[in-house]
Amino acid sequence: MSTTNTTNLADVARQAVDLARQKGASEAAATASRMRDVEVKWRDGRLDKVSEATTRGLSLQLYVEGRYSAVSTSDLRPEALERFISDSIAMTRALARDEHRRLPEPELYEGRTQVDLSLEDPRQATLTADERQSFARELEAGARAADTKGAILSVTTAFGDALRETYRVSSNGFEGGLRGTQFVASADVSAQDSDGRRPEESDYAVARFFENLPDAATLGRRAGERALGRLGSTKGASAVLTMAVDNRAAGRLVSMLLGPMMGGALQQKRSFLDGKLGQKVGSDLLVLTDEPHVKRGLGSRLFDGEGITARPLPLFEGGVLRSYFIDTYYGRKLKARPTTGNPSNLSWKLGGKEQAALLADMKEGILVTSFLGGNSNAVTGDFSFGVQGFRVRGGKLAEPIGEMNISGSQLDFWKRLVAVGNDPYVNSALRTPTLVFEGVQFAGV
Amino acid sequence: MSRGKTGMTRRDFVGYGTTAMVMAGAGELLTGCATSQRTGQGGPGGGTDGPSSSIGYFARFGVDETLIRETLAAALSRGGDYSDLFFQHRVSTSMALEDGAVNKAFTTVELGVGVRVVKGDQTGYAYTEELTLDAMRSAARTAAAIADGPSRPGPQRLHVYKEIPQRYVLKMGWDAVRPEQKLPILEGLNASAFKADPRVSKVTLSFADEHGAVLVADSNGRLVEDVQPMTSLYLSCVAEQNGKREQNTYGVAGRAGLEFYSPERLDRVVREAVSRTTILFEATQPPAGEMPVVLAAGSSGILLHEAIGHGMEADFNRKGTSIYADKLNKPIAHPFVNIVDDGTNEYARGAINVDDEGNVPDKTMLVENGVLTTYLHDSISAKHYKVKPTGNGRRESYRYAPLPRMRSTYMLPGPHKRDEIIASVKKGIYCSNFSNGQVNIGAGDFTFYVKNGYLIEDGKLTRPIKDVNIIGNGPRVLEKVDMVADDLVIDEGGWTCGKDGQGVPVSQGIPTVRVASITVGGRNA
Repeated sequence: MSTTNTTNLADVARQAVDLARQKGASEAAATASRMRDVEVKWRDGRLDKVSEATTRGLSLQLYVEGRYSAVSTSDLRPEALERFISDSIAMTRALARDEHRRLPEPELYEGRTQVDLSLEDPRQATLTADERQSFARELEAGARAADTKGAILSVTTAFGDALRETYRVSSNGFEGGLRGTQFVASADVSAQDSDGRRPEESDYAVARFFENLPDAATLGRRAGERALGRLGSTKGASAVLTMAVDNRAAGRLVSMLLGPMMGGALQQKRSFLDGKLGQKVGSDLLVLTDEPHVKRGLGSRLFDGEGITARPLPLFEGGVLRSYFIDTYYGRKLKARPTTGNPSNLSWKLGGKEQAALLADMKEGILVTSFLGGNSNAVTGDFSFGVQGFRVRGGKLAEPIGEMNISGSQLDFWKRLVAVGNDPYVNSALRTPTLVFEGVQFAGV
Repeated sequence: MSRGKTGMTRRDFVGYGTTAMVMAGAGELLTGCATSQRTGQGGPGGGTDGPSSSIGYFARFGVDETLIRETLAAALSRGGDYSDLFFQHRVSTSMALEDGAVNKAFTTVELGVGVRVVKGDQTGYAYTEELTLDAMRSAARTAAAIADGPSRPGPQRLHVYKEIPQRYVLKMGWDAVRPEQKLPILEGLNASAFKADPRVSKVTLSFADEHGAVLVADSNGRLVEDVQPMTSLYLSCVAEQNGKREQNTYGVAGRAGLEFYSPERLDRVVREAVSRTTILFEATQPPAGEMPVVLAAGSSGILLHEAIGHGMEADFNRKGTSIYADKLNKPIAHPFVNIVDDGTNEYARGAINVDDEGNVPDKTMLVENGVLTTYLHDSISAKHYKVKPTGNGRRESYRYAPLPRMRSTYMLPGPHKRDEIIASVKKGIYCSNFSNGQVNIGAGDFTFYVKNGYLIEDGKLTRPIKDVNIIGNGPRVLEKVDMVADDLVIDEGGWTCGKDGQGVPVSQGIPTVRVASITVGGRNA
């Protein structure tokens, strides 16, 4: 669409760094970005909404006389940009000095691999409005095909795709760009329960390449089955049970583990993992690596947001904590070598069994298919989440359950990990497999 | 890439400060909405105030009536029924204190226009950050493609809608406040927090403000402009005792200016943040299971946001996917239960003079004397239900089409007394402070996360509790609200509501209430 100008992103970023230095910044880094984004929503047999735009932006990190600010703007008119940078530098001058704020040491930029990560699918440029609509329509048909009981009330589906480009330049020698496509398909299904409830469920897929999306009928059917599976759900009794968490839902648990691994959390004493490096915090089955070079990976990259060259990073080995996520700022404050400020893709040491076999082994317990709300305390590790899913009896899925909570402490919880599936969830950079924990406190009736 | 596309975000939630960012998975989701100083209709400083100009704030960006008329004409070029343009300029600044110094600042400038074309109940949407005729016309043609018919004429004349309320008039807009005026506030709070309790070992502060404006121009020729300020302040501290650490946060927010930060308010921020943290050393997770729950006046309004607010947003009901879809005009709660969604609370975070479709919001009764009365409408749902829009059409920014959204949602005072309510509970919990909540609109299950509270034993508050999720089913829980006190408090915290990947600022409140039974997460059932 219209906002795409032909200006090269690299030039935009270089000019911004030059301008910042002319206006008084001692160091600066700039990231210019552009994204083209199209989404089609379809609801109950007809087109609901089409949105389409190309958006752009520029973000800058400014280092002015030992002081720091990070600013961004979507207003790239030359005179507006010049004024913006001047104003931002003036604001920065009002702040306190911070000796730890500097650009990354240039050696952290070195050693970038030249591997092709295959993040851009040329198919994105040729997709037509009709193809997007057809996908959304077939998603609905798939969902409705699952409806043998006539219980489906409404189906909303969506298909979207995007091309995102960024280019980063720093005044101490970093340059690097990234282009990537992404395709997203989703189906949300509502069903009528006999007691007036209208349970909803969804399924979705995210991929770098169009051909890696599941076919629309399959994805839609899974969403329909998920919604219909909720019918008649009841609240189970409070109990301590074995809990299996399906690969899609398991990402929520991993997120609460990763947050306290950030340098900022450690330096600010807001992490239950502070001081635990080299210690066993999970069972032997907790084996996790941050793996930035997965081909077509959703979180794949050659360098991180600061420009640090991306390398595989062991996080947990046999349950022992091996690394934190440390950016250059908190690295200086903590006197620790920077790793990277945030995760790319997670790579799990997978088990040998699929979910059905894990449930057969577990015999009695609950399979959690999604979490609702809840939170975790990063400082103490205490957590509590709403859950829904299915009771597992005799190793098989039994009745649907909902309106229950789990609670515990992460200090203890990860040691209860007793099985890991062979089914990484590819629609998220966390790539979680099915996880099984024993002795989990459920609250219900 | 773009947020809001994964199934996860279709759930609807509310979160407090930074929690909202995490929950939304939205990266830099700011905890506020729009911007600064109101200088009356027509022309805040810098605008062209010429006699023929009806465009105030946005004149500085070259926006004029010709540009708007031509864009609307392009938007209707395929026969759309209706179109609106949503211009937005928002400058968000935050300054943060960490380790004793205000040593980082962040500014984000958003400038752009969204073009929406409506055909029946179908929507075409596009936006651009270039406020030029070429770029806007191109965006309009993209959005226009939702329709497929002969062109309809756009408005020949535009008229400025002037009768908008003035719910957040500032003495001085945030664009005129210098950093040097904010820094001493943060430094003073930091010193006070350390002084308040020797166990405090880390303090972080975040002070955010916004200035800017929105302009809605629609195909009926109506022009509405609103200058929308916002500010928020969070104090978060870590305390240490006998080798154990705890943390907690207190925040305040409003569509207000620098005068919002009165000495009393700043004292309260320190007192609450520190006391809510240090009490956690004595707190445990409560027992698990169903029990009576007393919700303290104020931020417990999160119950209403999740248990009924989202379910009353008309888009879900129009689609038949809300658990409330067939309950309008039916009794759903005790007759002393009255719930409103109100855009009119002056200087509140959830207040708006106009919604993001240009409609003036009022106070909307969701539940009156226990009967479900009104859904929350945007213009599409209002047309469907043949009612007046309620002023609930809101959006995160020009990058999004509006949806029915809450503003300030609270329960009106009832017949009981707080002490009487606590005394009535033999064994249960009292909840006073929350971080986030979430709801499944159709099944009706909702949760909220309790950061602070107490056990109630034999009618008295006893041991402190912490970190527990509560889960219930909206309509069933509302039926079980069996006592409502007379002590309504609208919370001053900075709540952000997420729906369909869009975050908007909201307020919430409630008097002390008793829920006869609800499931409390916890330990050792």
